[in-house]
Amino acid sequence: MDVALFFQLLVNGLMSGGMYAMIASGFTLILGVMQIFNMAQGQFYMLGAFATFGVMAGLDLPYPVAILGAVAAMAILGILFHFSIMQWVMKWGFFHSMLVTIAFATIVSQSSLVTFGYDPGFIPPVFPGSWEIGTVTFSRNKVFVIICAIIVMVGLYYFMKTKIGTAMLASAENRDVAGLQGINSQKVFWVTMAVGCALCGIAGALIAPVISSDVNMGNKIFVSAITVVMIGGMGSMSGALLAAFLVGIVESFAYQFVGDLNLVVVFIFMGLVIYFRPGGLFGKPLPIPGN
Amino acid sequence: MSKLTKIVALCVLAALLLSLPSFLNPYVTQIVITTITYAMLGLTFAMGLKVGLLRFDVAAWWAVGAYGTALLITKAGWSFWPAALVAGIIAVALGYLVCMLSIPRGMMVFFLVGMVLTMVFYQVFGSLKFFGSWGGISGIPRVTIGSFEFAHKPELYYMGLALLVVILVVYYLLYNSKIGTAWNAIGSSLKLANSVGVDVVKYRTANILIGNFFLALVGAYYISYSGVAAPQTFSFNNSVFVMMYVIVGGINHSLIGPLLGSLIITFIPEYLRAAQEYEPIIRSVFIILIIIFLPNGILGLFDKYINPWFQRSKYCAPFRARVPAESRATEINV
Repeated sequence: MDVALFFQLLVNGLMSGGMYAMIASGFTLILGVMQIFNMAQGQFYMLGAFATFGVMAGLDLPYPVAILGAVAAMAILGILFHFSIMQWVMKWGFFHSMLVTIAFATIVSQSSLVTFGYDPGFIPPVFPGSWEIGTVTFSRNKVFVIICAIIVMVGLYYFMKTKIGTAMLASAENRDVAGLQGINSQKVFWVTMAVGCALCGIAGALIAPVISSDVNMGNKIFVSAITVVMIGGMGSMSGALLAAFLVGIVESFAYQFVGDLNLVVVFIFMGLVIYFRPGGLFGKPLPIPGN
Repeated sequence: MSKLTKIVALCVLAALLLSLPSFLNPYVTQIVITTITYAMLGLTFAMGLKVGLLRFDVAAWWAVGAYGTALLITKAGWSFWPAALVAGIIAVALGYLVCMLSIPRGMMVFFLVGMVLTMVFYQVFGSLKFFGSWGGISGIPRVTIGSFEFAHKPELYYMGLALLVVILVVYYLLYNSKIGTAWNAIGSSLKLANSVGVDVVKYRTANILIGNFFLALVGAYYISYSGVAAPQTFSFNNSVFVMMYVIVGGINHSLIGPLLGSLIITFIPEYLRAAQEYEPIIRSVFIILIIIFLPNGILGLFDKYINPWFQRSKYCAPFRARVPAESRATEINV
């Protein structure tokens, strides 16, 4: 393998790793705090990409506005989802709430299929061209996506240090005791849902100029996000970040050698991690039902 | 219920089920066959639920059964029956490897591994030439016993019914045996079961492996009537459908719930054929409403309203069954 190809694969892997990091941390946040297995996460990502596409192509607005629009739309959709459906289902337990999110995901993907059809949506790259260092070329847009993903993750880290972030972590640790300390669990829930869905919205908005958006893009990324969650340890945010980049790189390199079977390589990698480090890479995850 | 009424009721039910194909047209018979297939998958899912494990890998082992049988028939030239049996054993052996990895790590890891496994099998069967890639393996000959051929819908219906009865009887006996008691203990409280000396990992593994064997048999049955094993049939969505059948039927009833749920959910969309594109949306809304208003499924309604009345009314005294133990909590204790 020559150096150019190596760096190409590395950049691709880091880029998809950034996507996985955002989706998986949103997922793990919702799982840890609300104890809901949110299967609609991939659909929020897809809607984020489509929202960006709609704002840019339909309303003719610049890209930063489109990102903000997509994030706000996903956060509001998450809050609506919580208040209209999840609020009533959470008390029935893990299995019921997971099935409800699956049903919601079906509704979202099927109605977007009816609305948008199978045609992929293209928006032109925001930073066209590439940097060349010797024989190695870096696509500017992909590097931009990686940098943005890192900025978002750092922002999330500092968000978890604020008052509401601490309340979320306390609620994840022990809901009843957190309630006794005066933490309003209802407020924590909808904020968690909004943050988790907004992270997916950002991921969708960032990826939209790089790849073409289609209706099925959410399902494929969701399975990768699941492997990330398991490798990083369920409920562990820093573990999810490291695991996301690892999985992205493994997947990208595996694609070069075995093509569509790269999921098998990721699965074997995941199996090894689960076997040797059951608690994830960093060991001490948040309490999750069933463990 | 007295013994006589039980026997009479069973005879009436059997006569009804056996005479069903004679007054149904082939199209409806095909739907009934699909219902039976899904009911069998749902029964196995409900068995996993008894030990507090959510099986997302139902479609994966179903696919292993179907592909194993199809490969042994078309490539190795075996006949159907030994091929189906060997496919079942393959599913158990592969399942043991996965169980060794995931079951000691708890329910959540088992569930997620099952989910990724379904995706992995789908991808492997789809992209490898050995498994016929995305077109699948077709040209599977009809199943025969001696000179008798399962060629038409009614015969295939009887074959499915026989398999369903076998699964029901085996699961019923298991639930009422010592193993079933241990499973119930694990399902009601994992920690308590552990503390009184039930080997949780062993019993959970046994549950999953028995389930795997029957899932593979259902896969063999599936290719006997469809004649083709294609990866699209065994996608992610099918595992989801199975869960929905179980929850609509009622998760506290491991034997009747999946039957009722699959009957309801397969037949309702048949009347919504006109709106093909909107059918998944309508079904999902239906599921959400069911879960919000009837978390224990349709049989939960029966438990709540009809059964107490049945127990109280003096007219029903001759038909009265033993008072069921307090039904399990709606939340699965894991």
